[in-house]
Amino acid sequence: MSNTWSSISNLLKREKLLFSLNITVLTVTFLLLGTLVSLIVFGRATLKSLESQAQITIFFKDGFGEENILNLQTRLESDERIQAVKYISKEEAYKIFAELNKDEPLLLDSISADILPASLEIRANNIKNLEPLSEEFKTIDGVEEVKFFKDVVERFKTFARILYIVGLSLVGVFILISFAVISTTIRTAITAKGEEIAIQHLVGASESYIKTPLIFQGMFFGLVAAFLASILLNAASLFLHFGVNLFGKGALFSIGGLQINMVAYGIILSFLLILSGWVLGTLSSYFAVKKYLGR
Amino acid sequence: MPKTPLIQFKNIVKEYDSKESSEEQVKVLNDVSFSVDKGEFVFLVGPSGAGKSTLVKILIREEVPNAGEVIFDGEDVLSIPQDQISDLRRRIGVVFQDFKLLNSKNVFENVAVALEVTDCPKEVLNDVVPNVLSMVGMTKDMYKFPEQLSGGEKQRAVIARALAHEPDVLIADEPTGNIDPEATTQIMEILKKINDLGTTVIMATHDQHIVNRSKRRVVRLEDGVVISDKKEGKYE
Repeated sequence: MSNTWSSISNLLKREKLLFSLNITVLTVTFLLLGTLVSLIVFGRATLKSLESQAQITIFFKDGFGEENILNLQTRLESDERIQAVKYISKEEAYKIFAELNKDEPLLLDSISADILPASLEIRANNIKNLEPLSEEFKTIDGVEEVKFFKDVVERFKTFARILYIVGLSLVGVFILISFAVISTTIRTAITAKGEEIAIQHLVGASESYIKTPLIFQGMFFGLVAAFLASILLNAASLFLHFGVNLFGKGALFSIGGLQINMVAYGIILSFLLILSGWVLGTLSSYFAVKKYLGR
Repeated sequence: MPKTPLIQFKNIVKEYDSKESSEEQVKVLNDVSFSVDKGEFVFLVGPSGAGKSTLVKILIREEVPNAGEVIFDGEDVLSIPQDQISDLRRRIGVVFQDFKLLNSKNVFENVAVALEVTDCPKEVLNDVVPNVLSMVGMTKDMYKFPEQLSGGEKQRAVIARALAHEPDVLIADEPTGNIDPEATTQIMEILKKINDLGTTVIMATHDQHIVNRSKRRVVRLEDGVVISDKKEGKYE
């Protein structure tokens, strides 16, 4: 172990510029990796939230009557495809309309609650159910019009799918870049230490004595870069959260019923980045040692 | 009871690809057989290209012969697993003509390398290194760097490094090739002293004067073949 640490500290002392450059490139790579992972995670969370909010609004004809609407509400609430049903009476519709147009008194004066239709706001369990449900609702007597957010959700879904595919591809590319950077660094270290390694072999050094410090060097690079990247990402996300309140308060999303807020997400992301830094560093340096120091 | 030799080379054949064509093979060692007993001092002589260095490399498993057998202290060197070759090399100290010292380390550190690779405790290392350096008369130069040393001093540092493991055998491959006559005499005295203390010494050389003055066993190689093997032999 002392051999490993002295080897790493010698590298830090002797190859300051090389070390700094490598750490910078790797940190940027992990930073982009973390950003992409976050974009994918937030994109999926937003989609899920949009899907859960997917609504159908059924507007009723004036003569349909409140009792009929409430009966229909009771019937719909027992439908498995439906998450929630909310009745908006003519009076409530007017209140909403008045709130939305409070700066236009002339318009408000010309409209009364009577001309606004009563409606049912229906939240579906799944976006896929929006279209069949709306088609069913259109056939109900007394229904004037059925509206739903199909286009918005579908567009976001397409956008999220593109983000997911492009993001994952870029993550793959960045992993390859990190792999190449660490492997090249270890190859440089092997070349620089070529004479020393040859002498160590001749005086009886075991393979593990020579190879282990090099593998640890790669692991060290991966860990330091991932750690720096996670600090920067956490600082950025905490600024977005507390500084400009981009994501609002409370949970961002939930995993298996567990509510994840920004701080928890930052800890999970840091853990994943550091874990991937460790795995990537170890694997790429192991590959380099096997390739350039194989016997 | 017959004495078991420390080292046995049996019918060693070593071929390399020819420089002119990879299909052609050049035979560097051709059916080489001889053995060395514990405590012996043996000169391995012959002109450049006779195969002396190749034989040394085969003994420490830096090279593998195309045919033949190498036995070291009863163990078949060629069947030692890769991860145990380091154990073999700790029992065989090697001194090279081109020194193989690390310029970034001083004499003490260069010698210490041989012990560090075995994860030797620092206290033992601090005890052993000055001892072996005093054996070769390098105590006052132990903090000098290789570039501050003469050829003879460098070679004495290399001998100290080779002795750090207390090897069973010390192999010196042309140790006087790059040094002046006065330093050559000093090196020879050190090697004789090491041999007198019980360590087997094999010295590959093509220096006639050294061999003829020493009156030790001489194994002569030419074109990869042992052409003579004489006790108290001469190199003519």
